[in-house]
Amino acid sequence: MDTMTSLNDIFREVFDDDTIEITRATTADDVDGWDSLSHTNLIVAVEMAYNVRFNLKDTRALKDVGELIDLIDRKLAEKG
Amino acid sequence: MIINGQFNIGHICTRKQCELGRSEKVAMRWISQHMEQTDYTFAELDRQTNRFANVLAHLGFAPGDIFFTFLPKMPEQFFAFLGTLKLQAIAGTLFSNFGEEALLDRLGDSKAKGIITKKSFLKKIGRIRDQLPNLRYVIVVDIDQHQSDDILSYDRLMAEASDHFTVASTSADTPSVLHYTSGSTGKPKGVQHVHGSILSQNMTAREILQLSEDDVYWCTADQGWVTGTSYGIIGPWSIGATQVHFGGGYNAEHWFDILQREKITVWYSAPTALRMLLKEEPELFARCDLSSLRHIFSVGEPLNPEVIHWARRTLNRDIYDTWFQTETGAIMIANRPGIEVRPGSMGKPAPGIEAAIIADDGSPVPDGEQGNLCVRPGWPSMFVTYLNNDEVYRQKFRGGYYYSGDTAYRDTEGYFWFMGRSDDVINTAGHLVSPFEVESALLEIPEIAESGVIGAPDELLFEKVVAYIALHDNCEYSPQLELKIRLHVSNKASTIATPQEIFVVDKIPKNKSGKIMRRVLKARYLGTDAGDLSTMEE
Repeated sequence: MDTMTSLNDIFREVFDDDTIEITRATTADDVDGWDSLSHTNLIVAVEMAYNVRFNLKDTRALKDVGELIDLIDRKLAEKG
Repeated sequence: MIINGQFNIGHICTRKQCELGRSEKVAMRWISQHMEQTDYTFAELDRQTNRFANVLAHLGFAPGDIFFTFLPKMPEQFFAFLGTLKLQAIAGTLFSNFGEEALLDRLGDSKAKGIITKKSFLKKIGRIRDQLPNLRYVIVVDIDQHQSDDILSYDRLMAEASDHFTVASTSADTPSVLHYTSGSTGKPKGVQHVHGSILSQNMTAREILQLSEDDVYWCTADQGWVTGTSYGIIGPWSIGATQVHFGGGYNAEHWFDILQREKITVWYSAPTALRMLLKEEPELFARCDLSSLRHIFSVGEPLNPEVIHWARRTLNRDIYDTWFQTETGAIMIANRPGIEVRPGSMGKPAPGIEAAIIADDGSPVPDGEQGNLCVRPGWPSMFVTYLNNDEVYRQKFRGGYYYSGDTAYRDTEGYFWFMGRSDDVINTAGHLVSPFEVESALLEIPEIAESGVIGAPDELLFEKVVAYIALHDNCEYSPQLELKIRLHVSNKASTIATPQEIFVVDKIPKNKSGKIMRRVLKARYLGTDAGDLSTMEE
């Protein structure tokens, strides 16, 4: 399963909406309920699912789902 | 403003403005989350709200029936809200991040007959629908066709409705807007207002926010809360001002683009957002032309002095802090142009408002000493009851004063200074969160045996939700359980109720009657003396 597909499942769980279909261009404005507090939930869920750790600066700077995917892939590559 | 006793809020905000010659004036400049712009004139606002009033009438709604909006900020929210009021039905609004438990509490208690929402929220409503026997219709803004006899397409209904509607004469005491507010115990309470409240909202929009029909005004509040209706709909449109509404969330670049490009003259926002702006790079503000911006106001939580100093330094403007509550319906105490701003203070009472600091025994408290912040009843936007809970409503009035639940002191020059809540309600990012609601949501998680929830100071949010939990035997705390807790509270109650910190303890301190002693938890969190523990359960 590629990162986009697995991340889509996480979005559906975090935002309690099984109709979500993310793309690289998806931003917080495109997902109902994606505010600063649920963003923390999303990051915690992503960290757990991929067994990676982000620093606050990385996650604050994310502009869209594409950048989140790139960040996840970078962390996974660092793990080897 | 009031002619022939017509107090109807929907009428005054739309048709009346047309009658005053503002038909072709822009009432709402809608800016989508992708920064696309759509203008609605007062004539269009009148037609759209007429259509919605006819939609409800056709479905069998009558004056006094309760209809809720459950939408993110979008034009349909405004049409539905004002259309509902035109019919003299009661317009309730729900924060779009509410989870199903929060919805059930509010829709169930009010016996709401209808709701307008989005397709993506239908799942939440569907899961509680069988517990809402009075909910007859769900109107959905983003489906083309009716899904069933009671899940209906907004577009189809509106297309079939006439844009002519005659608003019946509406007296000042006719029920109008319903907001639910959280208390420290029990379920949220439905705060009922009346159409006559428009007098307060109009007056304070003029006298405090300094609005006139020539202004371009932007209130960032969500319509799920009282600021979003009193000052994001009613007050400004009752004056004929142009309102800018933005469908996106917090984004400093977008916000300052809007302030500059739309030539916003008066801006009403919240301390949490302002504190987030304070952390942005100063270059962002330096390159913006804010020459049109006359005034900035703030509401929701106390405004820190450093934010005011930042605004003076960076934006060359004061920020005027204002204070009111869901129950008061309109601004009661405020800093404002014309009086010296005392950074950190709430300001002085609005015209016609008599505020006082009263001791628990009902006696007046001398200036400089802390007590209960009270207001002499009688202002037009004063709530008229807590729905189905008149006893609690009456308890809010004692000795000729309304007790706000906030504590404050007044200085010798008449400025009021907020000190805190007299109950356990948590004010996080300007939203009141009931610890009881969060505790209840936590107890639904199988691993959790006991829960106690408090508010703790937070630099950004003013207060954050902190949860103490005791686990059942054989259950262990883990990152997986933390995530489960976060998502459960977020999706059942609301994102704003999500605990920011979770502590596992052996047992939750309770008194001998089994009541959670939140002050003990708070003292534990803050590292202070918990005071008298003689009533604590062994």
